Amino acid sequence: MLSDREILSTLEMLRNEHLDVRTVTLGVSLFDCAAQDVESFCRKAHRKILSLAERLVDTCNEVGEKYGIPVVNKRIAVSPIAVAAAPFDSREMVAVAHTLDQAAKEAGVDFIGGFSALVEKGFTTGDLSLIEAIPEALAQTERVCASINVASTRAGINMDAVYLMGQTIKEAAAKTSHADGIACAKLCVFANIPQDIPFMAGAYLGVGEPDAVINVGVSGPGVVKKAIDRARSTQPSLDLGQLADIIKRTAFKVTSVGELIGREVARRLDIPFGVVDLSLAPTPNVGDSVGEIFQSLGLRSIGVPGSTALLALLNDAVKKGGAFASSYVGGLSGAFIPVSEDLNIAQAAAEGFLSLEKLEAMTSVCSVGLDMVALPGDVSSETLAAIIADEMAIGVINKKTTATRLIPVPGKKAGEKAHFGGLLGEAVIMPAPKGDLSSGFIKLGGRIPAPTQSLIN
Amino acid sequence: MNSDKVVICVLGSDRPGIVASVSKVLYENRCNIEDVSQTILQSVFAGVFIAGIPEEISLETLHERLQERLAPLGLAALVRPVSPQPVYEPPPREPFVVITIGPDRVGLVAGITEVMARFGVNITNLRAAFRGGTDPHRNVMIYEVDIPLEIDQKAFKKALRDRAEELGLDLSLQHRDIFQAIHRI
Repeated sequence: MLSDREILSTLEMLRNEHLDVRTVTLGVSLFDCAAQDVESFCRKAHRKILSLAERLVDTCNEVGEKYGIPVVNKRIAVSPIAVAAAPFDSREMVAVAHTLDQAAKEAGVDFIGGFSALVEKGFTTGDLSLIEAIPEALAQTERVCASINVASTRAGINMDAVYLMGQTIKEAAAKTSHADGIACAKLCVFANIPQDIPFMAGAYLGVGEPDAVINVGVSGPGVVKKAIDRARSTQPSLDLGQLADIIKRTAFKVTSVGELIGREVARRLDIPFGVVDLSLAPTPNVGDSVGEIFQSLGLRSIGVPGSTALLALLNDAVKKGGAFASSYVGGLSGAFIPVSEDLNIAQAAAEGFLSLEKLEAMTSVCSVGLDMVALPGDVSSETLAAIIADEMAIGVINKKTTATRLIPVPGKKAGEKAHFGGLLGEAVIMPAPKGDLSSGFIKLGGRIPAPTQSLIN
Repeated sequence: MNSDKVVICVLGSDRPGIVASVSKVLYENRCNIEDVSQTILQSVFAGVFIAGIPEEISLETLHERLQERLAPLGLAALVRPVSPQPVYEPPPREPFVVITIGPDRVGLVAGITEVMARFGVNITNLRAAFRGGTDPHRNVMIYEVDIPLEIDQKAFKKALRDRAEELGLDLSLQHRDIFQAIHRI
């Protein structure tokens, strides 16, 4: 028999604390769609995606209804297109992007990831075609997301790729200048990209993955915040060790829900279950914010001194609780701090509490990185590349994933607002360093060697 | 007619010593307690005992002996043979939890359970739980139910939600596993 307290606290999490499954992402391998001509590739890819994804949305809704826990987003991640569609030129790559967009639309999903390349050690012709196609592909499509892995702990940082991405981001922004550079909101640059991320925009299906797989992203910053608030109001003397324990217990609950639902979706679709990604992923809604947790734990705002330490505690406690709840934890698994997608973080940036530099410091203890950061439109591609290089270095040296999603907003200056709409939210543009500050370094090119794995300070 | 098993229900105002009195009578009459459950609602005690009874003691005798001991305590006892007729065999089913929240009034439970009965949904546990003290607008009822797989799930859920709306209740219906997943290791 369930206790009243168990039943009512579950109801409370659902009704008032935004407990949900943030995303169920279907991974689809496109390697068996390889073809000499782009038409055949697109035809096969379209058919394969839809044959697997046809029932995805309905199944997620049915399972969500059964448990009373909504699956907010249903998404698709495909094999890295730079590999699956390697023989094609950039014009043909844009055609592939259209196919993915169309397949996503027909499957009823809002995003499809995998317009991706892995270039940490060097480029193939497929990689170069894909990167060249990115601005056009992201400008012309609505649902396609792109990610480029430019660095890894074992390969170092491909600085030619870093510079190329700085230029690509500028171009993608220019092609969507009417919409504040929204193409860049669908483009991530990674170090140590995991093969099984269910969250956009970084989701793709890795080379070592099965033909099809269901990965689940759980969230719940609102649940964590409320648990902290409740505990502190009943026991004001709780210290950080005890509060970490409360976060851990909450992460356990959230993860158990994600795994239960993910496994049932996978079973109904007869597709293997992959991983649960334990990330605190916010949305631009009050009560669903990572930034609010900082205030619940006594900081005036995210970004003030103490933020890095607090985030380290939060991120670690989430992992500990989640890892106990599920044996198959993967993806990014950490707190996200996407500026525009979190009302509270966007507010902190607008009020000047959160700077680019502090964000960078914080990303050394959490997942992702400089995520959904709006910058002035006139920031140079060399400065963008240098910001990316710094972020990649944090990931490479610390043997973790880091990423950037930078949006130079065309025609707008620091302090103005950029609007991306929907889940992507809106944000005040942060000041970026001006002038020719880093181009000498960036233009040196080459590859920063992989770090030593001993001597670890 | 004697049966080898009896069910004994005991009802009355709660106080120390009820279970001791009942079990003492059963012991004196060489009845072996096989199963027992008790609950206290507000200040009322209710207990159900299933016991094996020796052939030479009739149900009437046992009842009289229980009454003798329990009546002075203000308790009533009921003794029945455990029915040899076939018990309810549940069809393949899934366990769900229904929670209703809303202002108290006459007929809420009758209204909700009528829909459940009509669809053959079996209630396995029902209780009232109050949140926010005695606020009559937050009267909470928790029904643990088994929903047969063979019935039209959508029609049942719709009928239940419609009924809740007529009664001014906020209703949630969720598979039981979700509560287990969240709270149990």
